[in-house]
Amino acid sequence: MRVTVAGRVHEGRAVDLDGVDATAVVRAVRGAEAPVGVECPTPGTVHDHVGLLPPSSFDRRGALAAAARALGHESAAAAALAEARAELAEASAPTVDLREARRRVAEAGTEAERLRERVAELRGRVQARRETGADTTAVEAQLEEATGRLAEAETERIAAEQALDRAEAAAREARDRRERRLELEDRVANLERRVREELAAAVWERFRSAVEAVPGTATAGASPGEYEGDSVTAALGVARVAPLDAPVVVDGLDRFSGAGPAAEALEAPVIYTR
Amino acid sequence: MLLVVTYSRGARTTLRNVCRSHESTVIRRFGRAALLAETELGAFLALRLRAKHDDDVQIERTRPLNEFEAVPESVREAAEAYENRETQSTPYAKFAAGSDHPDPEAMRDADL
Repeated sequence: MRVTVAGRVHEGRAVDLDGVDATAVVRAVRGAEAPVGVECPTPGTVHDHVGLLPPSSFDRRGALAAAARALGHESAAAAALAEARAELAEASAPTVDLREARRRVAEAGTEAERLRERVAELRGRVQARRETGADTTAVEAQLEEATGRLAEAETERIAAEQALDRAEAAAREARDRRERRLELEDRVANLERRVREELAAAVWERFRSAVEAVPGTATAGASPGEYEGDSVTAALGVARVAPLDAPVVVDGLDRFSGAGPAAEALEAPVIYTR
Repeated sequence: MLLVVTYSRGARTTLRNVCRSHESTVIRRFGRAALLAETELGAFLALRLRAKHDDDVQIERTRPLNEFEAVPESVREAAEAYENRETQSTPYAKFAAGSDHPDPEAMRDADL
């Protein structure tokens, strides 16, 4: 690799940089715009986990799985996972808009109810005027008009309810599809977990010896998952296990005295910043 | 009560979180579904889920079934009699044939 900082060029598998921001170097390794220039092979997926050491957070199983993949391991569940993913991509569920249908039913119901009250009130007034011998013509005309509008409103309410029923039947079918999609999502997640575990198991022995070889006080047990120690040591172990072509950025980690010892322990190209 | 059913991982997770932080409003939880109290808060939580996850959330209004009020006597008696049948392997349609019990087709088309 070839690192350029402020016009100065550093070359080799181990490069020490003073006063350079580690995250800027990580960006440069990924080929992004940065105040540092780094010419190196393109980083692989393991770099997502150990590109910067110490990592801000560390997913041990995910990192081990990435390392296993980089070493050419494959999981027996990989084919099933690809199949489930493809099926999930096809499993679209239609959208059924029930909102407007519900709103229409509610509005039609409210309007019909209002008109029913109005008709009842006008009937009462007609009755009262008849009893006192007063003229009912004007009120009767109002009553007739309100009765007509009530009939219309009832028709609309029935039509709205039927439309909602149809929409709900369609929604039930759509929910069957959504249910199927949810099953597939769960299956994909389970298979992803299984693939990760199988891959991690494939490199567990190498990881155990790597943990002993890197500085730190962790112990890896006989079976995958049995790990006692800090995540920094685990990350160093993964970095040593994985075949890394692009440099790892070690940010002032005092377990190493500089880029040279770090590159030796991690068996990877290293840019050491401090 | 309000029955909330979820149809995606995201919606299921939100429902789980909602149930966790509003225990007093949750009457029952079943995996990806829950029964919420029929209160404004229950409705608020259900609608919030729907606002976030659209059609991946189904909301139904439920109430307890009083079979003595809502279910015809013939249906209640048929259920009782069928559960006490002598031969376990007899399907209901066969059991009802030739008896006074309603046949399944007729019940299917009759709303409660």
